[in-house]
Amino acid sequence: MRIFICGTGIISPAGSGTEILPDFLRKGTCAIGPLRLFPLSPENRLPVGEISAEDTVDSGLETEIPRTHRLAETAARQAVKNASGPPDAVVLGVTTGGMLRTEELLKQGISDPDTFCCHGTGTVARYLADLLGCKGPVLTVSTACSSGAAAIKIALEMLRSGQARRVLAGGADSLCRLTYYGFKSLQLIDPRGARPLDRSRRGMSVGEAAAMLLLEAGENIPGNALGEIMGGGLSCDAYHPSSPHPEGKGAQRAMENALRDAGISPSGIDYINLHGTGTPDNDLAEARAIVRVFGKHPPPFSSLKGAMGHSLAASGAVEAIASLICIRESFIPANTGCGDADPALEIRPLLHSVPADIRVVLSNSFGFGGNNAALVIGNPQKCGPETVSGKKKSSPPLRIKGYSCISGAGTGEETYGQIFTGKECRGTLPLAEISRNLPPGTVRRMKRLPRMALSLAVSAWKNSGLPLQPDSIFMGTGWGPLSETHDFLTQLFETDEKFCSPTDFIASVHNAPAGHIAIYFGAEGANITLTGGDYSFEQALLSAHLTAEEGEKPFLLIAADEHHEKLSPLFDRSCISDTVPSDGGGAFCLQRSGQDAGISIFPLFFQNAADNPEIISSLSSTLKNSGSEFAAVMAGIPAAFRQKGEKQLGDFLKEWPLPFADYRKFTGEFASASAVAAVLAADFMQKGRIPPAFIKGLPELPGDKGILLLGLGQFITAVGILP
Amino acid sequence: MDKLLSELKVKIVKTLNLTDIHPEEIDADARLVGGRMGLDSIDVLELVMMMEKDYAVKIDNKEIGAKVFASLRSMAEYITDHSPVPAG
Repeated sequence: MRIFICGTGIISPAGSGTEILPDFLRKGTCAIGPLRLFPLSPENRLPVGEISAEDTVDSGLETEIPRTHRLAETAARQAVKNASGPPDAVVLGVTTGGMLRTEELLKQGISDPDTFCCHGTGTVARYLADLLGCKGPVLTVSTACSSGAAAIKIALEMLRSGQARRVLAGGADSLCRLTYYGFKSLQLIDPRGARPLDRSRRGMSVGEAAAMLLLEAGENIPGNALGEIMGGGLSCDAYHPSSPHPEGKGAQRAMENALRDAGISPSGIDYINLHGTGTPDNDLAEARAIVRVFGKHPPPFSSLKGAMGHSLAASGAVEAIASLICIRESFIPANTGCGDADPALEIRPLLHSVPADIRVVLSNSFGFGGNNAALVIGNPQKCGPETVSGKKKSSPPLRIKGYSCISGAGTGEETYGQIFTGKECRGTLPLAEISRNLPPGTVRRMKRLPRMALSLAVSAWKNSGLPLQPDSIFMGTGWGPLSETHDFLTQLFETDEKFCSPTDFIASVHNAPAGHIAIYFGAEGANITLTGGDYSFEQALLSAHLTAEEGEKPFLLIAADEHHEKLSPLFDRSCISDTVPSDGGGAFCLQRSGQDAGISIFPLFFQNAADNPEIISSLSSTLKNSGSEFAAVMAGIPAAFRQKGEKQLGDFLKEWPLPFADYRKFTGEFASASAVAAVLAADFMQKGRIPPAFIKGLPELPGDKGILLLGLGQFITAVGILP
Repeated sequence: MDKLLSELKVKIVKTLNLTDIHPEEIDADARLVGGRMGLDSIDVLELVMMMEKDYAVKIDNKEIGAKVFASLRSMAEYITDHSPVPAG
């Protein structure tokens, strides 16, 4: 199976449309300039990569829709222009979602939850899926600046697995105050504009963009193939929340993994498209990593961030399209912005664009949390199937080796105890209780969500009793670190945009908790955070299922959400109606093994419920074909979609008359409630019984049957906890 | 200077949430970053903001930063020399 790029769409500071890029890149144009999007105080004039107003004017697009969504729509419509049908799935990298709009609303003191409906990072991908009529899975990857590339890697694995034939993958982020002031507080912005790899570089230029690739799976090269995604590699530095490993060890592993995945040796790479942000540390670490992989005479390389700025979650997808252009137009773009290459890097970028026959490109993306992704993009006509790995991987089940949860009732045992005595576990646990298994020095910079996530990770691993520490982390969170986001913006607004905390900025990034977990365990494998509202746990599970490696090394699957007094009622419409504010999460320590026996967790079904009348029958036939048998159903119906969810459940139970629990009545309303439910299901399976107050009519759990976890509402998801 | 040093010790513990350290325990001449307290570059930036907010002292380049944040005493000296706000 090969994965072809059959459509591209992009809107960036260079302009709108893929067709304008060859000229822009060949000339080495710089699109970095003053910020116009929101007002700034006079001492605050740092250059950015902003998309010009002319390019963003699209007829019929109302301003109700936040900028990121509109940019994503523009790029997506270009990418699918010649597609023969809607994509089977959407996988999008997004880090700030509707943040620009949210900032304006918060500044004005508006507290109507309806106005915040597009805040969540996951709303961008859902918006595209609904527009394009995508009925399959919709995933949002939030791994900071590597989001776009990581999203393409996950899409690649989804296509290789045969779960989808056509996937829209990419990234989108608009400029906003959070990232502009956040990077400024880290002193990571070059006042002269980004000059990657220059001797006197001072930092990056924050930018914005949306870039989309329409990917299609096939054995033969389709007529509309523009290029091929030959492979992708993921890794984590497990070193520091915001600084790269000084020797670029994580970057090196991501590149090596990508090359191995593509079945190609370093000598097969004709051009390296750098992450190359322009910060002193990033460029040095990346140069060292390149020397480690390619030696002192690597193929030609350049960074495009001096030309366009750093579009964060979009950058990996922007650069994948740029790589494709180099292949198709036979040239290598210049490292714009660099006048005097830094001799300390030992290797020199291309300072001027040159014509060259490019067959295969390696494109790097690295992010906060030490989160790395690299992609190998090729010319399908010039890299035959013998050099392409292309093998369909076997995927043994994900065995549950350990688990734990946090709920209003307490941690794991306390929660199970409460449920088994017939009580609910709603509420919020005091902060000190959450992290009582962690040393104070470790958690001093952590507010609620990262403490919860790390505590869950540690207890799930301890519960496994495994001697090996986890290597990869898959985390879901509906809303990310709300306390940090709130505190950052509050201080910013209260001080007239003069002061904001660098600690809060770094910790506000949605993948910061998973980064802490990686540092704690030294987990240098894949580290993916998924942010899809109420379906984040299911998205993380699906990503783990697609990318986790087979073998002895355990990995963690976690989902958690915090309740924040001010922000939760604005963002999460389900929690408004709940009388008891609740939060928590669940974690599994898993191993992928074919030989081993034991309880496993399996993502059975994930579809968009919008305009999808066949969804229940589709779920039903999936379950019939899966060969799994279930003794009970645990249904998650977010309060905001109560009516719709109850109808869906009713329709399902007509075909599958099984005893069921409406579990949010026990867990309370929060996005990751499904992770707590999954842990409860595993515990029921382990103990062989379900408390009668939880599910009536099922005195004993038959040993050969599983529990089916249903997610209902905007999407329908099914997860099997199987014997 | 002693008064400013004691004041800074309290501020550091509070700003960086060093819940397991008492302000009096901090040695004014000990290495701040990478030392016993476990501080790193993010903490330094947090202290940069604290110094600007509370003492109107701006530090926006790495070379000066490395000197200022060598120890608590060097921080206090820099404030004494550069702050328009009366110290202590």
